[in-house]
Amino acid sequence: MKLTAHPELLELLAASHALGTLRGGARRRFEALAREQAPVRAAALVWQGRLASMTELQPSVVPDPAVWTRIRNMIDAEQAKAAIERQRDAANARDAARPQPGGWLRSLALWRGATAAGALATVLAVVVGLNLRDQLQNAPAVQYVAVLSDDQSAASMLVTFDPKKKQLSLQRVGSYSEGDDKSLQLWALAPGAAPRSLGVMDKAPGLRLAASESDVHAVPTLAVTLEAKGGVPAGSGPKGPVVFKGALIEKTI
Amino acid sequence: MPDNPRMTAPSPDAELMALIDRIGHRDEAALRQLYDRTSPKLMGLAMRVVRQREWAEDVLQEAFLTVWRVAGDYRSSLSPPLAWLGLIVRSRALDLLRRRTADRAQLTQEFDELMADQMESDAPNPVDTADASEQAWALHQCLAQLEGKQREVVSLAYLREMSHGELAEQLKLPLGTVKTWIRRGLEKLRVCMGRFA
Repeated sequence: MKLTAHPELLELLAASHALGTLRGGARRRFEALAREQAPVRAAALVWQGRLASMTELQPSVVPDPAVWTRIRNMIDAEQAKAAIERQRDAANARDAARPQPGGWLRSLALWRGATAAGALATVLAVVVGLNLRDQLQNAPAVQYVAVLSDDQSAASMLVTFDPKKKQLSLQRVGSYSEGDDKSLQLWALAPGAAPRSLGVMDKAPGLRLAASESDVHAVPTLAVTLEAKGGVPAGSGPKGPVVFKGALIEKTI
Repeated sequence: MPDNPRMTAPSPDAELMALIDRIGHRDEAALRQLYDRTSPKLMGLAMRVVRQREWAEDVLQEAFLTVWRVAGDYRSSLSPPLAWLGLIVRSRALDLLRRRTADRAQLTQEFDELMADQMESDAPNPVDTADASEQAWALHQCLAQLEGKQREVVSLAYLREMSHGELAEQLKLPLGTVKTWIRRGLEKLRVCMGRFA
């Protein structure tokens, strides 16, 4: 049938196609015609455009401010991941050209590489962080939160900072056991600086450490290393492997 | 052709397009401005498709992340900016509904309660046409000529990608009635939109 000879029918079919109510065989026949005949294709596109404006015509609803915070955190994580990957690639290229024995823990690029692997962990941190919102509201002054994850992206430790009490709280959420002769040590990883120890954990399920806001401000990432019992001597960098890591997020909710 | 009082006003499209261009160049401040400017409207759209505030907020979040990633492709879409954003939100919302088909029963129930209110009234939904494209303004005028229930059925068919059968089931209407309303609604739209072409 020559559809273009019936302009009103053509328009109605194009409108039903765009609306989505033209289904099954009728839809397939119309689409086949549209591929063959430019005027049919044009009518289909015109009606797609017209009905797309339906999306502009709905009553407004103001979203919760937390939505923007989530979007911003996800984008920050994405940006950080991209930057980290660039740095890691650059570092890998450098290392390939000039092998550096030892001291890898002092290389921030590598530290960041470790966090890059945890883009998922970052997302998890955001999600878990929000789920924890209700609980955290009982401690209204919490301003920073991090969920540290192991290499399987399983949440292993919750870190929160309370600026009023100047207190950093560590809470185990996984089943990790470091053994009797080892201790877990928490590190702040800031760009352009060596890893800075925030404290050593004993075997207890949780720990509160004295900390000031400057200890956590502008720290994008926290990491936990497995060290000899009691942690490394003050002033020295981490010696053991990274067991948990995660992004530190400033809470704006 | 009917008079369009907005013809003389400066089009908001240019501003939104400039923001989307900046987002294409990884400008986070531009994304924030676009969000401040359009999120209530897009949230309203998401609510209309998925019905639940929490889900709608998830949709809004995913939609803006999509915008952040694909803003560079906007110009080639040839769409008015708000319609382009609306299509992204609708697409993410339909994705979410497909993922949540298990919760469909609950959804239908809430939906029915809401529909009961809306179907009784012939008054158009309160719609804020600020920032809407010329084309949306035309569609708004033409939809206003439809009876409330016709307008509602046509809108839901599009926004929620529902078939005649699904609409009949959810709105508790005979299938023939739904088909008739949609056919008459589209016929009125065809005549009316033709005047704006």
